[in-house]
Amino acid sequence: MAHRKAPFKSTRAGVQVNLDDQEREILVHLLGQLDQLLDDGRPAAEVDPLEALVGMRSPSADGAPPATPEDPALARLLPDGNRDDPEASAEYRRLTEYGLRSRKREGARTAAAALTRPAPVVLTAPEALSLLKAFTDVRLVLGERLELKTDEDAEALHQRLWAGAEPESWLATASIYEVLTAWQEHLVTAVSKQR
Amino acid sequence: MELEKPDTVEQPQADVPWVTIVWNDPVNTMSYVTYVFQSYFGYSRGKAEKLMKDVHEKGRAVVSNGSREEMERDTEAMHEFGLWATFRKDD
Repeated sequence: MAHRKAPFKSTRAGVQVNLDDQEREILVHLLGQLDQLLDDGRPAAEVDPLEALVGMRSPSADGAPPATPEDPALARLLPDGNRDDPEASAEYRRLTEYGLRSRKREGARTAAAALTRPAPVVLTAPEALSLLKAFTDVRLVLGERLELKTDEDAEALHQRLWAGAEPESWLATASIYEVLTAWQEHLVTAVSKQR
Repeated sequence: MELEKPDTVEQPQADVPWVTIVWNDPVNTMSYVTYVFQSYFGYSRGKAEKLMKDVHEKGRAVVSNGSREEMERDTEAMHEFGLWATFRKDD
């Protein structure tokens, strides 16, 4: 078997991406799904311009505080800010959720756009950072879908993957999760060397 | 007119410090968590690794302290990096 290049490598020009076309397509697809998941379904025209500007959510018509998202994956991406005080948590969400959603979505799009450039792709520092954060978000979502709750669950993933006794869809998600974990480790190393 | 000094001088109430806590999660890798602590807080590699180990082994670590506004800002930054963080009043 030929030696594979590290998927991400720090160079003087930036972070070089050594993934083949198909691998980059998978990443771009996942980044697109992340972008969609973070879409709160409100058309841009309905978003208060002030809210869009400062990233702060205006109180809803019924005055109800914004709630923790019901989808556990989304709740993991946009977690509660305070565990003891529901009021402080709601206030934190009102102040930050819109901005966090927007920046995460923007980052996913920045990374996807960079990965869609003709090879060889070399990421600028902001692009590499966007990809690093988006990698994390995609893995957090997949981790929720795989119901990884503890460190032990994460450690058992590899075994379960090789045992092959799980449903096909679980195995597919788990193998993508594993590949992303390995890729992200290389990206952390490459980004750390850039500084 | 009261000229005598009161017996006790009122001390200005020290700002009650708030803290940002990062909680362990099964997804984020040790190298990524260390990277985040170094790049966002500007902590040394040693300090960042110590905090990362606390998160991993003890389940959580206080990563910063300051005013409530500052801790909300740090929590938001941690959420942007995908770390599981909360802020609360230190006791």
